[in-house]
Amino acid sequence: LSDISTVRDSASVIAGTPMAGGIGMAVVLATAPADDGRPAALLPWGAGTVVRRLVGQLEALGVERTLVLARPVFQQAVQDAVGPAARVDASAGPCDDLRAIAAVARETAGTLLVLYGELLTHAEALRRLAWPSAGTAILAGGNRRKLVFRVRTRAGEVVSAASPYHRVGRPNATFLGVLRVKPADLEKVAGAADQLAKLAADPPEAWRAELARKAESWRAGAAQTADDDDGGDDVGAPPGADDDLEEDNQPAEIAEVLSEADELRLRTRVAGAPDDVAAMLVLGLVRTGVRVVPVYLRRLFWRRPLSAGTIEQAARRLADFDVDRALLDSSVKGTDGFFTTFFVSPYSKHIARWAAHRGLTPNQVTTFAMLLGTLAAAGFATGERWGLIAGALLLQMSFTADCVDGQLARYTGQFSRTGAWLDAVFDRAKEYLAFAGLAIGSARMGDDVWLFACAAITLQTVRHTAGFSFMVAGGQVTRATRQPPLEHSLDEAAAAGEARTAGQPVASADRRPLAAQVLRSWKLLDRRPAIVWLKRMAAFPIGERFAVISITAALFTPRVTFIALLGWGGFALVYGEAGRVLRSAR
Amino acid sequence: MSSAAAHAARAPVPDPVIVLRDDGPIARALGRIGAALPVPAAVIAILAAAPVLIFAGSDLSNLAAGLVLVWVVVVGGASSGARRWPRMLWAATPLMRLTEYATLIWIAALDSEVADPAAYALIAALTFRHYDLVYRLRHSGVPPAPWINTLSLGWDGRLILACLLLVLGLVPAGMYAMAAILGVAFVAEAVYGWVVVGRAEPAPIDDQEGDE
Repeated sequence: LSDISTVRDSASVIAGTPMAGGIGMAVVLATAPADDGRPAALLPWGAGTVVRRLVGQLEALGVERTLVLARPVFQQAVQDAVGPAARVDASAGPCDDLRAIAAVARETAGTLLVLYGELLTHAEALRRLAWPSAGTAILAGGNRRKLVFRVRTRAGEVVSAASPYHRVGRPNATFLGVLRVKPADLEKVAGAADQLAKLAADPPEAWRAELARKAESWRAGAAQTADDDDGGDDVGAPPGADDDLEEDNQPAEIAEVLSEADELRLRTRVAGAPDDVAAMLVLGLVRTGVRVVPVYLRRLFWRRPLSAGTIEQAARRLADFDVDRALLDSSVKGTDGFFTTFFVSPYSKHIARWAAHRGLTPNQVTTFAMLLGTLAAAGFATGERWGLIAGALLLQMSFTADCVDGQLARYTGQFSRTGAWLDAVFDRAKEYLAFAGLAIGSARMGDDVWLFACAAITLQTVRHTAGFSFMVAGGQVTRATRQPPLEHSLDEAAAAGEARTAGQPVASADRRPLAAQVLRSWKLLDRRPAIVWLKRMAAFPIGERFAVISITAALFTPRVTFIALLGWGGFALVYGEAGRVLRSAR
Repeated sequence: MSSAAAHAARAPVPDPVIVLRDDGPIARALGRIGAALPVPAAVIAILAAAPVLIFAGSDLSNLAAGLVLVWVVVVGGASSGARRWPRMLWAATPLMRLTEYATLIWIAALDSEVADPAAYALIAALTFRHYDLVYRLRHSGVPPAPWINTLSLGWDGRLILACLLLVLGLVPAGMYAMAAILGVAFVAEAVYGWVVVGRAEPAPIDDQEGDE
């Protein structure tokens, strides 16, 4: 229980952060069994239990009502554990769980949270989902986590989800046991829950087969790696939009002997799988066309203990976990370019923390960055050497402030739509103002480079337009993703994979179109981090562009700046277009 | 169903890729030509931009320039309706952006050297609209109002207007005026959009847009 207070302290240090409100109801599932057969939620935590800790966290978040579901024999024990903070209802099995959730969804007016009762994570992780603007969302983790259900995301949306009875093709993230349903989707979640309850009462043949297959594949996975998957994700960033990983088809023929502990852990997991109605609800929502957004855990701690042994480990990890540090590291975008990641973010995140403690808002920082950018353009416009150097420095300061505003927003959870729009618009304005400043300064020194400036603004806008247009077209594909009915255990990608293996076991790789093969080999290069950074640099992202402007303007002339921008930008245009054309042809 | 009726039926949900093109009424009308052609939009768009890029830097008479412009508008307009190879439809949009901006620069260069900064100013004003088309939809869920597309004439209307300025010998002043008028209109509409129209379905809170 001790870390509730520490987390609350660190959150309250962040000035100007309101405690999130607006969660009307939380349904806590204290149904998954631990290795001793009792609910995992009743595993000891400090002087109390895991579920008591979780209910306390929810209370601190301002959740109005909490309902805990437990199996009838354990109802009293769970009620004793949580005390008066929450009501505990008895529910005989997953079907009753689903019906209970449907009933709650129909009588609740506010936002609904459905979560595992045996979650060990920071209140901060839950707070991200409690944020009023979150919409219908899940807490998501990296793809490498084991013994959790996977999802596939695309363009910031969950397009497919796994459940005890459902498989997801090409997964790129995992479901970490927290589902948030916004009020407008309550009726849909109730409908999905009812439908799932009806099906789960007598699972269709496909469902049973999938559950059996999952047990096999978990066994194989557990044999391959015995180490535990606790702590934050390896990569702080969510996975790429088109992570082309194969479905969770671990080769089933690996029949290694598991250690006794692993065997027990695996059996517990398999026994508890059908109780996982949270995962089933996510699947139900996604399959019925509800927009579900992943909110990533990133570097925070998360664990779902199913034995007393794991609790001890987790307690140790949590005790020396620096929440503030994790939050700060998490505030850095994972998709940034090389220059931003290595030369700006390492110190800009500390400025973000400072700004948070001073109570500055992201919008104030955004505006300040625009002001610096305008001054930088004015410096360039003098055409004098001192002006170019001052402009170069101001532009870098402006860029740093620009990284700070986003990190500040992520660190404090202050997301504003207008702010995000303003940030994007100001980014472009600063860059194009700098071009104008450079051209004015150069003309004053007798070298007219306006034509270069025109070419540079055209090239940059065309590059962005290509990216946007491709993305918008991809978004349509996402919406058009056909969702099979709930009875089907495979999503479209998994079904296609199954058909490939069944039909042409050997030749499947050769039958891929050429474009797909090229893209796949290209993707395989990413195993070397240096290659990933090179690829990102080739795309000439904003950090690199601003660095090129600053360095060439300070050391040389605006003409050199424009030639450098046009050269690197021209290469990036060809590089980007080639990739997009290949992906369209695939 | 007549093509007009088909257009009306499509009207409530415009294809976002097409919206990004920023076609004006003339281009949309010419789109019917493209719809009949068995060629992808991107190929037609490359043909539209080709003469501008080929004749870049050469000194053309106003008549020749006018002919080039007619080509750009007719062929570029035709590309607005082409739907062959739908998976590659996105590729025509950046080409149309290139066509518009390059033609404006070309017109300025045909006029005089002092016209270059005027072309830059006009392009800078246009970039506001062209980024806003994406950013507003992304962040507020509501795209810019359709009337701002009509008011700003679309890329086709703007190119015809710029060509008129060339013939009348008003390029620098006219382009500055266009930049000022359009710039004010674009920003005003954006502010109106945020303050009055508000926002629809919120976007994801974990803003993980790529590094742009």
